[in-house]
Amino acid sequence: MSLLVFAGASQFAMVRLFSESAPTLIVVASVLFINLRHALMAASLRSQLQGLPLVGRLVAAFFLTDEAFAMATGHFRRGGRSLAYYFVFAISLYVLWNVATLGGIVLGDAIGDPRRFGVDFAITATFTGIVVLAIRHRTDVAIAIVAALVAGALALAGASTIAVITAGAIAPLIAVFVRR
Amino acid sequence: MIWVAIVGSAIATYLIRSLPFAITLSGRLPPAATRYLEALPVAIIAGLVGPAVVAPAGALTHGPEPLAVALVVATVAWRRSLLAGVIVGVVSVALLRLI
Repeated sequence: MSLLVFAGASQFAMVRLFSESAPTLIVVASVLFINLRHALMAASLRSQLQGLPLVGRLVAAFFLTDEAFAMATGHFRRGGRSLAYYFVFAISLYVLWNVATLGGIVLGDAIGDPRRFGVDFAITATFTGIVVLAIRHRTDVAIAIVAALVAGALALAGASTIAVITAGAIAPLIAVFVRR
Repeated sequence: MIWVAIVGSAIATYLIRSLPFAITLSGRLPPAATRYLEALPVAIIAGLVGPAVVAPAGALTHGPEPLAVALVVATVAWRRSLLAGVIVGVVSVALLRLI
């Protein structure tokens, strides 16, 4: 599964749905919804990848993840122009993810609860840091806070599948209407 | 059945990611659209953080995440270092869970 559906959150959702023996259509629809946010990410990365031929862009799309998007955005905002950064990072992530999946299958129960070490928080801390570093205007602060609050509220309301896409689509409207 | 769902999900995942890359718009975008697209990354990444902080396990947290994320924001804003922020975040979550 990790080799084909390279998408962390939806893989966890799929495992849960499989264990409830949900219908195939429900599984695919849920995955589609959870990954809608990648359409927004791709839209935002487009201008950086425009120099690539179609095949290159289609390869880039397969390896697009939250993490690759976040790191690439940080890179481009620091003034980086090199696309190698995106590809090296995104493809290493794919390899590591699958090696770790295999490791989990083999070792599994021996590890116990990884939450003990706070490792689960590393990704959240990374994303938070990237947002802080990416902020350049006061509007950026407002956008970040609104997006986090909207997504958090939706997740609490039980709509976690659409939380990120909704927050990501709504909050940038602030930039459209506020004069800098 | 599980394999049908896996292959279906693989196709859905890939189509969603590749369509915005594959379609090429002609002409220039209006300034409002440019401002919207420029603001997208911050909004999406912040949108990923929100649920992970208030509801890391699907329900309202009573755990250390909100405090830890405040420490990460303070650390990164002060040191301008992603690595320092991640280390402070992970260590503070691990310590706060011990208490």
